[in-house]
Formats: sequence, structure tokens, C-alpha cells
Amino acid sequence: MGQVIIMDKNLQFKTRMDMVLFFLKGCIRYFVLAIIFACMVSLFDLINPKIIGFTVDSIIGDEGSKLPGVMQAIIDAAGGAQYLKSHLPVVSAIVIAVALCGAASRFLFQYFNARGAERLLKNMRDELFSHIMHLPFTWHAENHTGDIIQRCTSDVEQVKRFLSEQLTSLFRVGILLVLALYFMMGIHPGLTLIAAAFLPVIVLYSLFFHNKIGDAFENADVQEGKLSAIAQENLTGVRVVRAFGREMYERTRFEEQNKKYTAMWVRLMQLLSGFWATSDLFSGLQIMLVTIFGAVFCVRGSMTAGDYIAFVSYNAMLTWPVRMLGRVISEMSKAGISIDRIRYIMNSKVEEDKPNAVEPPMGQPGGGDIVFDHVSYTYENGTQKVLDDVSFTIKAGSTVGILGGTGSGKSTLMYLLDRLYQLPEDGGRITLGGVDIADIKASWLRENVGMVLQEPFLFSRTLAENIRIARKGADMGQIRQAARIASLDDTIQSFSEGYATFVGERGVTLSGGQKQRTAIAQMLIRKPPIMVFDDSLSAVDAETDAKIRHALKEGTDGSTVILIAHRITTLMNADNIIVLDRGRISEQGTHEELLKNGGIYRKIYDLQTNG
Amino acid sequence: MNNEENKNVSLPWFGVPKILPYAKPYKKIIIRMVLLGILSSAIDSIYPLFNRYALDHFVAGKTLQGILPFVLLYMVVLAVQVADNYISVYYGGKVEMNIDRDLRNAAFNHLQTLSFSYFNQNNVGYVHARVMSDTGKIGELIAWRMMDLVWSGSYILGVLAVMVMMNLRLALYVLALVPVAVILIIFFQKKLIVLNRRIRETNSKITGNFNEGITGARAVKTLVVEDRIQEDFERDTEDMRKTSVHAVRYSALFSATVTMMSAFALAIVLWRGGKLTMENVIQIGTLSVFMSYALGMMEPIQNIIGTFSGIIAIQVNIERFSRLMETESDVADTPEVIEKYGDTFHPKKENWEELHGDVEFKDVSFMYPDGNEYVLEHFNLNVPHGTNVAIVGETGAGKSTLVNLVCRFFEPTMGDVLIDGRSARERSQLWLHSNIGYVLQTPHLFSGTVRENLQYGKPDAGDEEIWEALKLVSADGIVKRMEKGLDSEVGEGGDMLSTGEKQLLSFARAILADPRILVLDEATSSIDTVTERAIQDAISVVIKGRTSFVIAHRLSTIVGADVILVVRDGKIIERGKHEELLKAHGYYYELYTRQYEEMVFSGKV
Repeated sequence: MGQVIIMDKNLQFKTRMDMVLFFLKGCIRYFVLAIIFACMVSLFDLINPKIIGFTVDSIIGDEGSKLPGVMQAIIDAAGGAQYLKSHLPVVSAIVIAVALCGAASRFLFQYFNARGAERLLKNMRDELFSHIMHLPFTWHAENHTGDIIQRCTSDVEQVKRFLSEQLTSLFRVGILLVLALYFMMGIHPGLTLIAAAFLPVIVLYSLFFHNKIGDAFENADVQEGKLSAIAQENLTGVRVVRAFGREMYERTRFEEQNKKYTAMWVRLMQLLSGFWATSDLFSGLQIMLVTIFGAVFCVRGSMTAGDYIAFVSYNAMLTWPVRMLGRVISEMSKAGISIDRIRYIMNSKVEEDKPNAVEPPMGQPGGGDIVFDHVSYTYENGTQKVLDDVSFTIKAGSTVGILGGTGSGKSTLMYLLDRLYQLPEDGGRITLGGVDIADIKASWLRENVGMVLQEPFLFSRTLAENIRIARKGADMGQIRQAARIASLDDTIQSFSEGYATFVGERGVTLSGGQKQRTAIAQMLIRKPPIMVFDDSLSAVDAETDAKIRHALKEGTDGSTVILIAHRITTLMNADNIIVLDRGRISEQGTHEELLKNGGIYRKIYDLQTNG
Repeated sequence: MNNEENKNVSLPWFGVPKILPYAKPYKKIIIRMVLLGILSSAIDSIYPLFNRYALDHFVAGKTLQGILPFVLLYMVVLAVQVADNYISVYYGGKVEMNIDRDLRNAAFNHLQTLSFSYFNQNNVGYVHARVMSDTGKIGELIAWRMMDLVWSGSYILGVLAVMVMMNLRLALYVLALVPVAVILIIFFQKKLIVLNRRIRETNSKITGNFNEGITGARAVKTLVVEDRIQEDFERDTEDMRKTSVHAVRYSALFSATVTMMSAFALAIVLWRGGKLTMENVIQIGTLSVFMSYALGMMEPIQNIIGTFSGIIAIQVNIERFSRLMETESDVADTPEVIEKYGDTFHPKKENWEELHGDVEFKDVSFMYPDGNEYVLEHFNLNVPHGTNVAIVGETGAGKSTLVNLVCRFFEPTMGDVLIDGRSARERSQLWLHSNIGYVLQTPHLFSGTVRENLQYGKPDAGDEEIWEALKLVSADGIVKRMEKGLDSEVGEGGDMLSTGEKQLLSFARAILADPRILVLDEATSSIDTVTERAIQDAISVVIKGRTSFVIAHRLSTIVGADVILVVRDGKIIERGKHEELLKAHGYYYELYTRQYEEMVFSGKV
């Protein structure tokens, strides 16, 4: 745990290789061991046919032995051909011993390969997750969740598979090929040429098919995604479907897409069966030719029966791995794409503090004053200004209300304050206790500016863990205290598992209001000096809203409170109320002042009180 | 419910009878597949005989006589097998995909007929997996698992037959190894199933972590818990790494064992067979055939056992799928009603009466199917058409219950809901739903364009009509501001729009359908006051002449309602007009004055 290599998070990976090597840290030794054992597997696999050939020729038959030195030494040590003739079990024992060595090497190969692969997988995931956690919020807003998750899951798997399965098998096949051909050459060069002539053909056609199959798979995936989305939408929108009586339409939509998807797969199956049949044909032809020519050479006397049997075994070892070769080559391009997709994330710039960022103390008088100084902001792709020359001051310890219509820029103000959005150079300044927030450490800033969002996010943990997530050490008493202020304690007590109730997919689903209240408790337990409630009571009813606000007075004591709301009742007790209209401040003051003003605030007030 | 993934299910005959009906349309092609499979395996098992002939006849006999017919026969057999494999693999794929498709359609279509209580009790992810993943696994079972059995089974039988014919004694020696191999393979399979399941679980947990870290990025940042989340994440990835490495120990040992078994078989053949060859009981060719079999037999045995454990594992999917198909909607139309009005997919619109919008609750008692307490008891309420009913109360007090009954999303446990004087059960659900407009608390849009979404309730609506509806709810400005107007994409679930915008559009969608009964479920909670006012105005226009049910947070918005129902703890405790309720000084009075008082008595008015 915690083995993530701490390094410059904004390291740029210029090439695919750079990044792969980065992820391979700590795995390389395992892969090296795996490759060494892979060589041994091939070597041991190749010994037995030799022994069989020898057995047939020199033990069962009477041919002279022509084994290479090492093996001859083994045979001699076992007593020589003559001795073995009457002691066949010894030959069997040798076969088993060789197989045992082969099996042990195979075991070690797989084991070390898996060690490396799993370490690699962990490295990739940890690094990606950590990187994503530190990417700026704007990056998250720009990139689709589904897409990022796909990069982190299927692309990561693809790269892992490629490096640990395909690349190692490339090594293995290569070694096997060289050794097998070497042994085969030793038996009969002519026959080896015939057998080897097929190899490039096999590689080429499997490359051809794998490319086609890869494309077809991708198409099928796309169609599956569409089908899955239709089902997903139908299920999440089941109330709408029913309420509009559109079941038939949904059915047609699903069935049509289902048909398309199925057709893609049937086409894929056609390709696959074509591939398999071609494989069968070529390897069948190759084996046939080896059988026939082998027989011919034996008859002509350039081979013995034992040679023939050994040669056929070697040949049988080759066909499958060589087919793999084509696959590996075609996977290479896919893996390349996946690496690029991951590289996109890893090369995105993470949030960074200025080199000499500070942590200004908040305690002293005036230390926590927030000043918005001619702030303007435009979204990355937007043309219209979301905020246009907004200036105001929030005194430390005061309560400020912000009222504004949809899209008036209320939330943007708060996102800027928390540096979720970065204020551009020419967009004015926001200062906290006189220090430009751009010069403050982001983590320090966010620890001091607590925020309850309109659509709060709960983690899939228990309620208690959710509440104390930002304050590790909090005990049950503190958790309950915070929940009580947020008017949540009773609700939680009514759950059968109380505070241990699990939230999210595998647990209860909380209502919007309950989520908001949990988020409020989450903030209260931290007691940050500045608290922002971004429309965070919108989903609770007026009664609970009132209850919470009364209780909040106690919980927010001494803190600066910024309230964003639609309800006048929520805001009217604030020391200062700012009314935002299309990115500009249209009026500000206390409740009474604003009522007297007769502006937007007054209008809204009248609407809400008189209906 | 979600721990079900790990449950061991055992069904009679592995659940195969339950899915046979779906295989039936493909009976012929499946039979052909099986026959071709047997042929292919038979050929596989006789290939070594070519070798034997070559060794015994050509090599041992030092002659090339008869090599031409030999080559020809070899080529014919090869050609037959290639063609055979091509066809049977293609058939297999076709059967799998077609059955998959049929199962998915069946599941999806069945879901369209299920009532809300099903969807309340099962979360979307769970149901989605029934449609998309269980079906795929079942199709695979019928097509491939079965083919594996056919292939491997007939190969082994073929090998057995050839061995016994060639030399019974040697065959018995080799066969003695089979039970040992079977026991070992079963042992490893069992172990690996458990371990692989654990890996899958951890893996999906990690995917979930990614999902959480990404969708919750804003929360993670504002709470400054990056390190904490990272720590937890790394704990899971470490867990995954350890489990995987642990599992590989077994799977590596497994494959090592299987190769060892082959080696043992080979050793036995060399020893006993070698002796027999030396004694000239068998020829070298026969010995080589035995050696090929010794090496090639373990894989099919492994396949057969793997297939069985696959079939056992698939039972869970079959069980879940068939349970979905066997779930009956607790809101179903009677055969008589379907006879006259048609069902969900085959409406007989010509028999549909016009709906006026009179709604009456007649002695209605109601308990949610998953509840254990009546939330309505002997409730009576007459809502003549055109009446505006408002429902108020605290969050979670059960305000949606009445609306669910009106829409017949649920049916009363006792009593009746009358629509236009007749029990709602006497007419089809589709008839009712086609006349209801519903705006939900959490607006739901479908991916597609704005136009497609608005046309959802009225597929033939023209642009002019659409703009009119948009104007009515003051949403025309929003759409005009979009780059492509009505053709703008709203994104998955409408996520390219704000909550307020989604609400306005779903409101326009409901209006466009021109329903007789309009239901607004807390639809105004996330819209700013000015927009809300505009909607309020629109509402007062559109509810004219329509029966409407409005569930609202802000009491000021429902002051003008014809009837206000006050709900507390799931029960209706007060009802009447605004003034009457105020006069009664009850709970409504309390709710209303609290909202109002706060302003007055805080001395700020």
C-alpha cells in the first residue's frame, strides 16, 4: 500500500514507451524471470520427442543413436541403449522426470508472469486514480464519465493483457520456434523447410483475420453500447414510459437495435468461423505434407521411424503458437490505441499550487475577509460572460445570502472561491484575508472553505463514514451531534441499521433532501471557518428547512456563512444579501433595505409570500 | 438482494428445461450442429491413424506403393473436416446470437408490462443486468457449452474405440489414468471457481471506485479527501493483486498437473507399448497412435469438466432470468379488458372511450406491496373533471401515494378508483396513461434531441405545436439559446441541461401530450422564483378544463387549489380549501403560518 511512486504529477509521457516503462516499475524483474522460465518450458518440451525418437529407433529398433551430447550423456548415465532395452520403465521415468522439470518451469513461468502482471495492473490503476483525483474540476466537467471509466478499466485491461500475456507469449513462441526448428533441422533439413514454409503463411492469414475480427468486435461493442443504453434509459425512465403509455415505442426501439447488434455478431461469427476453418485447412495441409514427405524420406532412407515420430511431435508443437503470433501482431495496434487513451489522462495537467503557495492564518481579525474584486468569468467554450465585473466583500464571521435566477452565476462564484474553476489572469481577483486565493494552497483553501453542493455526492460507505469522511478522527458523539443539527439524526435512527446503514448501489437510496442533510452534517463536523451552502436546502420541505436553519445558528457559530437559495425565508436573516442577475450584482443589502429598494428581491419576496 | 451473485443455485436438470422453449425455434439447426460436431470429432480421433498407416505401411515396408490413394484420402478427410468446422462454428454462433436476441427481447418486453412495485423493489443496475448479461450467458450455454460437450465427448469416445480396437491391454493401461485425472481436475476447478469469483468481485469493486472517484470528483475536491480516497483505492487494488496471484498459483499448478498427467500417460505407453512393440505384438505405427492419444486426451477431459462447472455456474443466470419472466405485474389488465381495449403492445384504439377526467376514490384502502401498514384507510374523495387537487406535507410523508393510485401505477388494496364513474380496472392501463400528463420530481429526459424528447408524449407533434408548448412554460428561451434549437442533443439522461431546464422541458413534454389529467410531482423545487412564477402562470392556464394533482413544496403556490390534501406520516390528515384549512387551525395552518410567520415575526416585514 502507498507504493505509488511520488513524483512530479505533471510528468509528460512523450512516447508510448515512456509511459509503459513508467508503469512497469517494480514489475520488470518478474517479467524477466517469467521469460527465463518460458525458455526453460520450451527447452523441456522439446526434449521428450527426442527421447521418444531415440526409444523407437535405438531401444525398440536397432538403429544407432544420434542424440546430441547432453542427451546422450543422460542415456549413458541411465545405462546405455542396451541396458534400457530390458529396462523400459527407466525410459518412462526419464520421460516423467523431463516432464516434471517442464511442469515446474511452466508453473514458475505462470507464477512470475502473474506477479508481474498483477503488479503492473495495480501500478496502472493506482497511478491513474491518483492522477484523476488531482486533475482540476474543469477537466472532469469536460470529459465524459463513461469514457474516462472505460479508459481506466477496459483500456487498462487491454494494456495489461498485451504486456503480460501477448508480449510474453511472443517471447515464448519466438524461443519455441527457434529451438524447435533447430531440432527439426537436426533431424531432416528438407522436411524442416517444407514445414517451415507454412509458418509465414499462418502468421499472415491470422494477422489478416485478427485485424478484421478486431474491427468487427469494435463495431459489435458500439452496437452493444447502444443497446445497453436503450435498456438503461428505459429502466431509469420507467415512470415516464408508463406515464406516457409509450411501451410499444420502447419495444420497437429496443428490438430494432437488438436486431442490429445481433446481425453484427452473426457477421463476426462468420469471420471467426472463416478464420478457424482457414486455420484448420492450413495446419491440416501442413501436417499432411509432413506426414507424406516424412514417409517418403523414411522410405528413401534419409530418416528413421523414430526421427519421423519426433519430427511429427515437433511439428505439432508449432502450429498453435504460430497462430498466436498473428494475433499478437494485430493486438499490438489495439494495445497502442489503449496506451494512447491512457496517456491522454496521464498527460492531462493536474492542479498545481504556485511554487511558493501560502497558508494564511484565519484566526486574526480581518483574517478571513473574502473580497471579490472585479471578478469576471467566461466558460472555456462559452461566449457569454457568466460573471461580469462582480465586486463585494464578505466580512469574517458574517452571514451572506446570495439570490439569483437559474444561470445567474451564483454557483460559479462559489466554484471560483473554492478554486474548482480557475480565475483567469485578467478576470479580477479573489482574496481571502488579503491574500489572493491563487497564491494559497488549494488543499488549505478547500479545508477552510467548506461547501455543501446542491446535488451532493455520497460515497458508497456507511452513513457514519460519510459524515466523518473529511474528519477522520471524529467519534460517534460528534457524528450524531452534526447529524442532529442537520435534522438528520431522527431519520438515521429510523433506519434498521442506523448509522451503519450503507449508502448507494449496495445499500439504501436516500432522497434528495436526505442527501443534502447528510452533506450538511458532513460539513458541520469539520467546522470550517467559511461555510458555503449552495442551494443545499432545495430538496427539503419548508418545515425541515426552517428546523435546520434554526439549528445551524448553533453549528455555524463564529464561521462565515454563505447561503445560496431560492427561498427568501432561507436568506432573509443574513447580514448582507447579494442579488445576482445574469452575472452582475443587481442589488445588495439587508432584507429591509432590499425590500425598500423595490427591486428584484422585492418582486421575489412578494411572489413567495402572496403566491 | 445484491449478494445473489454469489448464491449457489441448483435447479432441476440445471435449469435447462426452463430455457428449452427459447431453443425450440432453432431445433433443426441445433441438431445439425450436433451431428456435424460428432463427425468433426470422429475425424479428429482418426487422424493419428494416417500416421500409423504411414509408419507401418510405408516406413516399415520401405515402399511408396499406394501413396497416391493415401494422399487423396487424407485430402478428402481434411476437406470434409474443414467444411464441417466452418459450418458448425458458424451455426453455433448463429444459434447463440439468435437465442441471445430472443431472450433479451423477451426480458425487455416483459419489463414493459411490470408495475412500479417491481421497479421500486429492484434497482436499475440489477434489472439491467438481467436483460443484458444473464441472457448472453444463457445463449452461450445452449450454443457453446453444449457443443463443447459434443466435441469433447465424441472425441474421447472415438479415441476409446480406436484404442480398444488396436490393442485392448494397452488401452486399459492408458484408461487407468483417466479417473485420477478427473478427480484432480475437479479439485482444481472447484478451487478456481471460488477464487475467480472473488477476483471478479474485487474487480467490480475497483470499477465502482473509479466510478465514484470520477463522478464524485467535485465532492472529493471540496472535502479535500483525495488522499483518503486514494488510500482506500490502493487497499482494494492490493487486495485484487494478492487474490489474483493466489489464484494463479492454483491455475498454474492446474495446468502443470494436466501436462504431468499427459506425461504419465506417455510414459505408460512407452513402457508397456514399447514392450509390446519389441515383442512384435503391435507395430511402431500403433505405438505412435497411442502416444498421440496419450498426449491429446487430457484436453478434452478438461473441457468436459470445465463445461459441467460452467453449466452449474450458469444456473444462477437461468434462475434470475426465469424469475424475471415469471414475475407477474401486480397491476394487470383482465383478459376481458385486453379483449376489448388491447394490451400494452397491441392497443385497440378504436374501442377507447374518451376520458373526461372525473376521478373518484371510493372507500380506498392501500398498503404498498413491500409495506406492512395501511397508508390509506377507507378513503373517499370525489374529484370532478377540471378540479385542481393539491397535496402538501413534509418530505417523505407519502404525498405520491394518491397520484400513484390515480395513474394506476399501483392498485388499491381494497376499494376502487373510479375514472369517469367506472373502475379503473375496467379499462386498459395504456388507455389511462395515454390521457395522463406527468411531470416527475426528478425530471427524466431520454438521450436524443430536444424535439424527440418533447414528442415523446405526442409523436406526431409539429414544430409549431412544440414551440407553443415551450412558450407556455417559458422554456422557449432555453431552447432558442441552444445551438441547434430543437435539434440540440440533450445528452444521456438530459445531463447536458441543468435540473431547472430539464424540469421545464419535461413540463412542456407533458403539456404537449394534451392530457385530461395532469400530475405535477414537486416539479417546481429547483427552478428559480421568477421562472417558477412563469410556470405557475402557465399551470393556471393549462389546468383549466383538466383534472390536476399538484404536489408542491411551497404552500404559496397552491393557495388557489380546489382541494388541498394534507399528508402526514403517509396518511391524509386534513383536506379542504385553503381558507377552510387555515380556519381549522390544524397541521396545515401550522405548516403555512410557519412559512409566513417567520417573515412577519422576525420583524422584517
